[in-house]
Amino acid sequence: MAFIKGYLIPRLFQYFLVIFLGLTAVFVIPRMTPSDPVQRTIAQLRSMGSYLDPASMNAFIEDLTEMYGLEGSAFQQYGAFWKRLLQGDFGVSFFQFPTPVNQLIRISLPWTLGLLLTTTIISWTAGNIIGGLAGYYNRSRWSKTLDTITMIIRPIPYYIFAFALLLLLAYVFEIFPVSGGTDIGRQFEFSLHFIVDVLKHAFLPALSLVLLGTAAWFQTMKLVVQNVNAENFVQYAKLAGIKENKIVSRYVIRNAMLPQITVLALLLGQIFSGALITEIVFSYPGLGMLLYNAIITGDYNLIMGITALSIVAITTAILVLDLLYPLFDPRVRHL
Amino acid sequence: MRKKALFVISVLMVLSLILSACGQPTPETITVIETVVVEREGKTVIETVEVVKTVEVEVTPTSVPREQAPLVQGTLPREETLIVGQLTGRIGAPSNFNEWVGWKWRDRGMQNLANEPLWSVDFATGEIIPGLASGDPIYNADFTQVEIPLREDVAWDDGTPFTSADVVYTIEALMANEGFSAHNFLVDNVASVSAPDDYTVVFELTQPNSRFHTTFLDRWGATWIMPKHIFETVEDPITFEFDPFVGTGPYKLHSYDPNGFWTIWEKRQDWDKSPTGILYGEPKPQYIVFQSFANEGAKILAQLTHELDAVDLSAEGLKAALTQGESNRAYQSSYPWVVNNDPALTGLTFNTAKAPFDNPDVRWALLLAIDIAEFEGQAVDGTGTLSPVHIPSLGSYPQNFIAPMESWLEGFTLDLGNGETFNPYDTEAPQRVVQYAKDRGYVVSDDPASLDQAFGLGWYKYAPDEAAKLLEKNGFSKNADGQWLLPNGQPWRIEVLSRTDTSHLSFKNAAAGVQQWKQFGIDAVHVPSDNSSALAQTGDYDISGEWPAQEPWGAGPDLYRVLDFYNSEYIEPIGTVTPGHTSRWSSPEMDAVIAQLRETDPSDAEAVIAIGIEGLKLAVEAMPGIPTFGYIGFVTWDETFWTNWPGAENPYSQPYTHWGPFKYMTPFLEPAGN
Repeated sequence: MAFIKGYLIPRLFQYFLVIFLGLTAVFVIPRMTPSDPVQRTIAQLRSMGSYLDPASMNAFIEDLTEMYGLEGSAFQQYGAFWKRLLQGDFGVSFFQFPTPVNQLIRISLPWTLGLLLTTTIISWTAGNIIGGLAGYYNRSRWSKTLDTITMIIRPIPYYIFAFALLLLLAYVFEIFPVSGGTDIGRQFEFSLHFIVDVLKHAFLPALSLVLLGTAAWFQTMKLVVQNVNAENFVQYAKLAGIKENKIVSRYVIRNAMLPQITVLALLLGQIFSGALITEIVFSYPGLGMLLYNAIITGDYNLIMGITALSIVAITTAILVLDLLYPLFDPRVRHL
Repeated sequence: MRKKALFVISVLMVLSLILSACGQPTPETITVIETVVVEREGKTVIETVEVVKTVEVEVTPTSVPREQAPLVQGTLPREETLIVGQLTGRIGAPSNFNEWVGWKWRDRGMQNLANEPLWSVDFATGEIIPGLASGDPIYNADFTQVEIPLREDVAWDDGTPFTSADVVYTIEALMANEGFSAHNFLVDNVASVSAPDDYTVVFELTQPNSRFHTTFLDRWGATWIMPKHIFETVEDPITFEFDPFVGTGPYKLHSYDPNGFWTIWEKRQDWDKSPTGILYGEPKPQYIVFQSFANEGAKILAQLTHELDAVDLSAEGLKAALTQGESNRAYQSSYPWVVNNDPALTGLTFNTAKAPFDNPDVRWALLLAIDIAEFEGQAVDGTGTLSPVHIPSLGSYPQNFIAPMESWLEGFTLDLGNGETFNPYDTEAPQRVVQYAKDRGYVVSDDPASLDQAFGLGWYKYAPDEAAKLLEKNGFSKNADGQWLLPNGQPWRIEVLSRTDTSHLSFKNAAAGVQQWKQFGIDAVHVPSDNSSALAQTGDYDISGEWPAQEPWGAGPDLYRVLDFYNSEYIEPIGTVTPGHTSRWSSPEMDAVIAQLRETDPSDAEAVIAIGIEGLKLAVEAMPGIPTFGYIGFVTWDETFWTNWPGAENPYSQPYTHWGPFKYMTPFLEPAGN
């Protein structure tokens, strides 16, 4: 009971307050940018080669303002925003008018989740295990070799690294497709063919993220383990004759994992922003490109839809982490 | 030290990967099939004749023609499928084909394959092609009524006959619903529309308008006709997605990617019920795929692996694709390779609503500070066609406008002050660009006609001393460091706005302009922005890389579309979107020219040319934007599976796959037999 009153309820209040403030910021910030969605739509139509009759332009601007729901004061729009949001509706996309924002997110979200959730977990797990062992056995030959490899991979800019993979495995050796999420002409179906096709297209984007991600986790974990390894309690355990396996797993890696778990929770929350460069290099579907286009076209509703998802995901991830943290670190107690 | 060494090794590793993809070509001989346009009875006929010939080519190991054509990624027969790049990128709303509302990525095959407008512009041939219309519009004497004859024997791709009822329904639906893009124009212009018979429509107009029919003329977009039998059953035509798309073109929708990367179109069994089939015969590809790529590297790789037959690239991408792909070709077979007959003019636009660019002397001074040969070299490696006036030097425009204006241009002078005048026109300017190209080692034709076509008839002198006199006349001065100061003594800083895409000609013109003006002693800064088009339209800029004039139709001599954008009626204060040209320039004299053009029958070529020339003279005198070179298309075609592309040696059609008349190209493409 003390936990609920003293910790859980205030923490939940904080959780909802952060979401409320975040969503309010999401409403306000795009409106403070110089990018007006009506102007952007007209500019986009013109830059795409459309001829808009100059004599009818002002009436067209009025029509767009009305259709986009941008009439009325900022407070009226803010009220309408919350009214829609509480019904789970982000309205229609301006640039992809009149497609609902929910529909656009629904199409892109599975690709982002599928790619980033998998690669984040794989690279986190692999990087931390290998990095932890390499940090403990840091004088061994294999540890030094892995260290050298990661030092080669890490400095390569992601774009170059990903494009080099594309060149090697899609052009020099034509093993994987150059672009896309599925084959041209392939429609969604529950079949082995479709699953294999999706995996084949996801392999290169995933490989690029896993290799660089694993290298990054490897290096940080190795450094943390080396630091923990030098702590007095580890030295004392060794002197006390505790078995090495137990020292590695219970004393060193468990302590070294704590900061890594925190970062993982944040990363999982950030997944909902997408992986823009990966999507660009591999022409892979996802939320990153959707958000980028929404920003440059001043598509308020779509920006709000994607960032709201991200805000809720990150705050939820932090909440869950806070609640579960005592399991990882017995020194932490919520009353 | 160890870290540095490892870093060098890592860079070398990446480079080795890239270089390994650029293997040395080895000679090989292949047999290709191509077609040629033939002459019959002394006239060039559009029919093609197949000839078989052996050519010597160089082949890289990765691009050896496959013994058996594979499927397109396991789905479509490759030898029957044409794959083209989609210019405007990934489709944001893939299931929505309702083009009448907002932007719907219509170059995904809607405008260029599956739909037929009443008329289309083909800028390569200079023709207006009647699609759903069977002839020209017929106006009454005061241009308040227009009758349009429609083509018979056309059917929608679901088999329903196309009739005048579709046209009448379309106009009435567009006028009844505010959400349609064409709503306001039609409400302003149409009093009523009727159909005296199945193949005639008559519009009564609210006011005299001799160009009303151009709303149906496809120049990368037009007002299309709706299938009445589908739209009349829909409750809300604005939110209706129109999926599957139904059109009157020779192809119908096969399938599309829900993620927006590709759209597949299949040849109609009744292709002879489309205007394309009726006019030009059976299209050759069974399937046409429009595919988008999020980066240029992927486009090039796809083309090198023969998974992409036609694509638009950047200048650098074009060179890479031509160097690496032995089966790739460009629009021209030699330097300058590029498509140089696109009906758009690039350059730099002044914000004439903002000091000091409201002063024509200042605008001319900035033009004279440009060495056009150096400018074009920096911007596009000298490949553009110069134009001294505010229309591109292509098609019939040089013959109708630029050549007849040359004597006026040669006599045109600027007042430098103190009684001194200067004639800026330079007929040798294109030669300076040619010399630049020769110095770069490019082989350039010596044929004067080819040179005129490729490099233009003239431009302006590089005259920094005269530019300085024009500025000094208006109170500008230089400080001890040689930097220009404004009349109030403040340093003169110019921000040049452009798009962020480095391959876009807006960016290239802006970057080259900044270099030129820096050399002249102005603190010029390049400001790329993703919001550049909107900023230009609201007047939040000094100088921009937006086109210096509205694009002309690309066919016919009527310049109303260009000049009307300088109409003073469209001038809005800074901060508000201008419906007219982003320079916000106008003059009473130009208004008079526009009014005169509006009252003139657009089919009266002699009259519209004479009035158009007067309008162009006014634009040259005021110089609201600097015309530099015509739009350049960096198109590559892979001839592994499809040949007989409309290159410069055989321009039977405009060369792009994203323009409307691409559908009229499809009957002339030939399978390569691979």
